[in-house]
Amino acid sequence: MKAIVSVREAVKNYTLGNVVVPALRGVTLDVVEGDFLAIAGPSGSGKTTLLNLIGCVDTPTSGSVEVAGKDTRRLSERELTDLRLHTIGFIFQSFNLVSVLTVSQNIELPLLLQRKLTGPERAQRVSALLERVGLREYGTHRPSELSGGQRQRVAIARALVTRPQLVLADEPTANLDSVTGAHILDLMRELNRTEKTTFIFSTHDQSVMAHANAVVRLADGKLVDRVTPAQAAAENGLPA
Amino acid sequence: MRAWLATLGVVAQMAFRNLFASRLKTIIVGGIIFFGGLLVVAGNSLLDSVVASMSRSVIGSVAGHIQVYNAKSKDTLEVMGRMMMGDPDLSQLDDFAKVRDSLLKVENVKSVVPMGISGALVTSGNTIDLALEKLRSAVNARHDAKTDAQRVEAEARVASEKGHVRQIVSVLQGDLKNAKAVLDERTIDPADGAAVNRAASDAFWQDFDKEPFEALEFLENRIASQAADADLLFLNYIGTDFQAFQKSFDRMKIVEGTTVPAGKRGFLFAKHVYEEQLKLKAARRLDQIKEGTENEGETIATDPDLKRMVRENVSQVREILLQLDAAKTVDFRAKLQRELGSQEADVGKLLAAFFQTDDQNFRERYDFFYKELAPSLELYRVRIGDVLTIKAFTRSGYVQSVNVPVYGTFEFQGLEKSTLAGALNLMDMVSFRELYGFMSGEKLAEIQALQKAAGAREVSRENAEAELFGSKAEDAPAAKAPRRIEATTTPGVAPVMRDLGESLGGKLQREEARSRVFPADEVERGVVLNAAVILKNPKKIRETIVAIEAQGKRDGLTLKAIDWQAAAGLIGQFVNVIRMVLYVAILIIFLIALVIINNALVMATLERVKEIGTLRAIGAQRRFILAMLVVESIVVGFIFGGLGAGLGVLLVSVVGKIGIPAKSDVWFFFFSGPRLYPFIGTSNIVAAFAIVLLVSAFSSFYPAWIAMRVTPRQAMQEEE
Ligand SMILES: Nc1ncnc2c1ncn2[C@@H]1O[C@H](COP(=O)(O)OP(=O)(O)O)[C@@H](O)[C@H]1O
Ligand SMILES: [Mg+2]
Repeated sequence: MKAIVSVREAVKNYTLGNVVVPALRGVTLDVVEGDFLAIAGPSGSGKTTLLNLIGCVDTPTSGSVEVAGKDTRRLSERELTDLRLHTIGFIFQSFNLVSVLTVSQNIELPLLLQRKLTGPERAQRVSALLERVGLREYGTHRPSELSGGQRQRVAIARALVTRPQLVLADEPTANLDSVTGAHILDLMRELNRTEKTTFIFSTHDQSVMAHANAVVRLADGKLVDRVTPAQAAAENGLPA
Repeated sequence: MRAWLATLGVVAQMAFRNLFASRLKTIIVGGIIFFGGLLVVAGNSLLDSVVASMSRSVIGSVAGHIQVYNAKSKDTLEVMGRMMMGDPDLSQLDDFAKVRDSLLKVENVKSVVPMGISGALVTSGNTIDLALEKLRSAVNARHDAKTDAQRVEAEARVASEKGHVRQIVSVLQGDLKNAKAVLDERTIDPADGAAVNRAASDAFWQDFDKEPFEALEFLENRIASQAADADLLFLNYIGTDFQAFQKSFDRMKIVEGTTVPAGKRGFLFAKHVYEEQLKLKAARRLDQIKEGTENEGETIATDPDLKRMVRENVSQVREILLQLDAAKTVDFRAKLQRELGSQEADVGKLLAAFFQTDDQNFRERYDFFYKELAPSLELYRVRIGDVLTIKAFTRSGYVQSVNVPVYGTFEFQGLEKSTLAGALNLMDMVSFRELYGFMSGEKLAEIQALQKAAGAREVSRENAEAELFGSKAEDAPAAKAPRRIEATTTPGVAPVMRDLGESLGGKLQREEARSRVFPADEVERGVVLNAAVILKNPKKIRETIVAIEAQGKRDGLTLKAIDWQAAAGLIGQFVNVIRMVLYVAILIIFLIALVIINNALVMATLERVKEIGTLRAIGAQRRFILAMLVVESIVVGFIFGGLGAGLGVLLVSVVGKIGIPAKSDVWFFFFSGPRLYPFIGTSNIVAAFAIVLLVSAFSSFYPAWIAMRVTPRQAMQEEE
């Protein structure tokens, strides 16, 4: 199987004034197409930093990150943006919907940025996705009128509307209760299966990891290991 | 292309929604832009309207569209707004007819009016001089009386004139008492006081008939000089061709009397000058109080100006008292006692009480004054039909004196109340040339001969004043000698002489002034200082100026042409000054707006960092973010700027229907009439939009820069 993401010895240092804060200390990771991968680790272990590198939101201090066969360090800021637009979908911890747009408009937004589809094509795609995430009735609502779970479903629809090869989700359930969180994970899993979209999500929640194909564990900016959800659960003394 | 439009669509949509979502910001920013648009449109329209109407005032009252003068002149020509300053140093245009013919060759020129503008300082007649002159003539008549009937009649005249002079002397005695109360005793010459007391004494008048000529001499030398009621008057006048002037400046109309017939000497007072400077001051103040209370809705009780005028009328009754001889004194006493229901015998006190008017009794007193008192008074110091003796310094420094009959008064329609438009009187060109010192060859020879005979010496302009006013020599022989150039003996005053006396010289001179007709050729082929040009198409002033100067060159004339605004001097500049003030005000308002809008946008941008970060993360390029913000600003600019400009248009057109009333006489000139009717200029609307867009753009720069720097990573940041 082809690797859609290939991280090699990635180091990321942040500088706070004179202090250099190492966020990643040489991480190597391959993610194959169609994977449904969880990145686990305690707070501050570097999950977000790793996802940012993969999501072309940031570039590594040293080492390399390849996404869809492109070395992100060689891309200009504009090319990175294009890569994000056409190849990657984002799901955020706090949903990050544009509050002034309706649900449908939020979902349509990446298509408008892409400028590839005609109006009817876009409308068709948006309504299909609304249907898919179970929000058919809510197209004209504003995000503020929805619950947290509904909002995250809108965000998922927005991330998927461009049919990206890769969807990144940084702690997508952190702001949701566990039942809703489980539903969101189920939805993502289903889309992963039906649309063949690769998902990488971070979490520090054991029950969330359980949905993944595999769990990559981070600690202190280093990749600890790559295990099955069952193994991860067992080590933490929890049922899978 | 369609996708591009769709992006623009989403940008616009997001922009609109953002504006709506952050209403407070939109209202603040929009409100400022709204007022900005309003100010630009309304302010500029108002100003343009003032310029347009003021230009009508300037063009229609004296300047014409273009003024032409000799390019060799040292100074620039200014036809308006000159006060007591000396005349500008202009070279003459030798032959007006030639200039006119040259100008008329220029396609756009409709008519040409010859001009010369100058002024003369004159003093008006002294009441006591006139009274003494009448007394002297009565004494002479008694002396020469052949029959009893003549003697009786002359005796009565002497008695009446004596009464008048005594009345004046008693007023002077009162003045002296007042002066002693107010001034330091030492500053008053005791000899003056003694003279007045002597002239007021019964003994003096009992002895008067014994040595009347000696007594008269005493009064003339010791008393007349103390009655300084003669006012210095500065008359500005334009020498012109009355017929050409009236035809070209069609707003001019004769108020009293007639225009000056072609080829004759003559003077027309500007009605405003006539009222303001020559009318009996008490009467003038009554007119102004009436105007204030009846036309401007003010009251004596509340308006400080009107209050002041009432006060002045009460305290300055002397001017009227001096005009009263014995018979009039009796008449006034009776009338005022009746009107006021008073037993007071002193006419001065009665007059003071009479002028103590309030809002209730004013109209009645006003009517009473004009019906009962005014017919016995000289309301104007110069009457229509009088011959005016004007003395002026010629360019070579001589004092030249010319007698011109006053034919009437005139004013410019719509500018009746304007001091500016009503400051210039009109004089015939021949008299003007003589006063200015332009001589025909024949005249020059005549003068040189006279000069030799009279032993005149050349007087430079600088010390001509001293020559004219410095020495207080005996009575003015100059006024009585026709065409006589001021020699070493200079009169104490240069009077506006109503009465040139009964001397033969005076009569001849008056006769010459009234009846001599100058041939058209002499009037037209002479020297002028400048010429007003009226155009067929007033829009082409610039082109015509060029054409005129070019035509002048072809005809061997050194002509300089300037537009009305330049010719209006300071007044023309005034508009530019207001415009500058408006622009500075607009600039300041927009600078403040810039700061406030900038702040509001920065705040709004900071609030939207997460949203912008999200957009960037999901693939929006920086230029998309920029476009979004710019569209937001432009939309606000257009909508609110448009509304402001729209309200401005509405306001101006509503005000344009009603008109803005001119509050004071200055505004009559700038409004070219009693009301200003502002109009909209399309350029102002365009300007308003341009400015609004510019400000919107500028105030978006900094917030846009902040927005540009938002990274997609900021979308991930969790606000704790
Ligand atoms: N912008 C930043 N500047 C400085 N240090 C940062 C920044 N982002 C993350 N870090 C640091 O890098 C480390 C990893 O952070 P992060 O990737 O956010 O961890 P996690 O998402 O697993 O909680 C932490 O020690 C954090 O404090
Ligand atoms: Mg994190």
